[in-house]
Amino acid sequence: MKPQSSIAEFMSKQFMNCKNYLYKNYGENPGKMLVHTGVLGWILSSAAQVAAVVFNDKISSKEKMFLIPQECADAAVNILSFYIVTNTFKSIGSKLVSTGKLTTPAIRKYIQKAGLEKEVGKVTTDIKKGMTGDIRQEYTDFKSGVDVITSTVGSILSCNIITPILRNQYAAKKQKEILAKRNMNAAETAVVETPKPVKPLRMADYQSLAYSKFSGGNMKI
Amino acid sequence: MSISGISNSIRNGGRRFQQAFYDCLPNRVVNSEKWQKRIKWVGSEISSPENRLILGVTALMSQPFIDARNKSVDEDTRKVSVCRTIAKIVAGTATGYLIRKGCISAINRWSKLPSSVDKNGQKVKLTKLNTFFSPQNAISDLTESFKQYRNAFGTIAALMVMTVTNFLIDAPLTKFLTNKFVKASGGVRNETSK
Repeated sequence: MKPQSSIAEFMSKQFMNCKNYLYKNYGENPGKMLVHTGVLGWILSSAAQVAAVVFNDKISSKEKMFLIPQECADAAVNILSFYIVTNTFKSIGSKLVSTGKLTTPAIRKYIQKAGLEKEVGKVTTDIKKGMTGDIRQEYTDFKSGVDVITSTVGSILSCNIITPILRNQYAAKKQKEILAKRNMNAAETAVVETPKPVKPLRMADYQSLAYSKFSGGNMKI
Repeated sequence: MSISGISNSIRNGGRRFQQAFYDCLPNRVVNSEKWQKRIKWVGSEISSPENRLILGVTALMSQPFIDARNKSVDEDTRKVSVCRTIAKIVAGTATGYLIRKGCISAINRWSKLPSSVDKNGQKVKLTKLNTFFSPQNAISDLTESFKQYRNAFGTIAALMVMTVTNFLIDAPLTKFLTNKFVKASGGVRNETSK
């Protein structure tokens, strides 16, 4: 067999395995898919931003040494806060349904019929075990809905409230550090007239910092 | 105490904490048929494009206000920062929604199964292209799980595409919209760079 065809066969087999894996894992779990693709989205957009700094000729290598770790830390804040908050919300929703705490009348009836009432609410309980036919479909559809709602609420909280607050605080701290460093360098080469009081960031500083980076912070894809 | 003993204690402690948390939550039965239908509809119809749209709309309702209250920057900076945030959300949501929708629709077209039928109920002729994204372990493309598979694959494909469009569309569009919004809001006193 030619080496090229064996490589093609290997790639084809891996691609098929990947498709089968996605079908098996996300087919009945759209909430999990939203969390995982959300994390992947943040990883890819963060990687793109780090790459944009690395390959930007307009940024000096000295500034890159500072900006690259800053971008990586920014990425870590985005990815971690998204995963922790969204996944926690999604897990709570899933657990409420799988332990029988949140049900529909049909599922409640099944719990009573199967003698699982004493097990309701225990974290180790999974009422799905032993379910077949229509009730299993009812359970899957209901759980998918709850998963999607809780993961969406989690991602709204994470992306729109927690992450911007954390990032604003972090960015303000870092920008002040950059400016302090720049002022120090300028002071070394120029005669100091009078000491200037510490002021908030000015327009020129903000714009030069924002435009020196490709997206000026985060850009969710 | 051995390492396994320590890890067991941590695991048991975590489980006890989890149990205490769930014990605080009341048991609920969703009796309303209308709400049952709505919850199931969300699980079936809301996928990543709609999720991105929801995130975009809620972002517009929260992030500009967070930026507007950021006291660590001066007034002009805050103004530009708010405009930039709005521009970023509009550009990111529009491209994110459209590219996700487009990729999911492409995956739908290229993931046919032997049981697939067209709009007229006729069996679809299978080709290499229209089965390129079909998994081996699926029986029918009419099931909910196959629909979710297509959504998942489409979303992953869209994320790959958006790694490039993030530079080609989002970044220039954000810059363009920021300048438009800053101008519309009366500009800034000491603007220095574009």
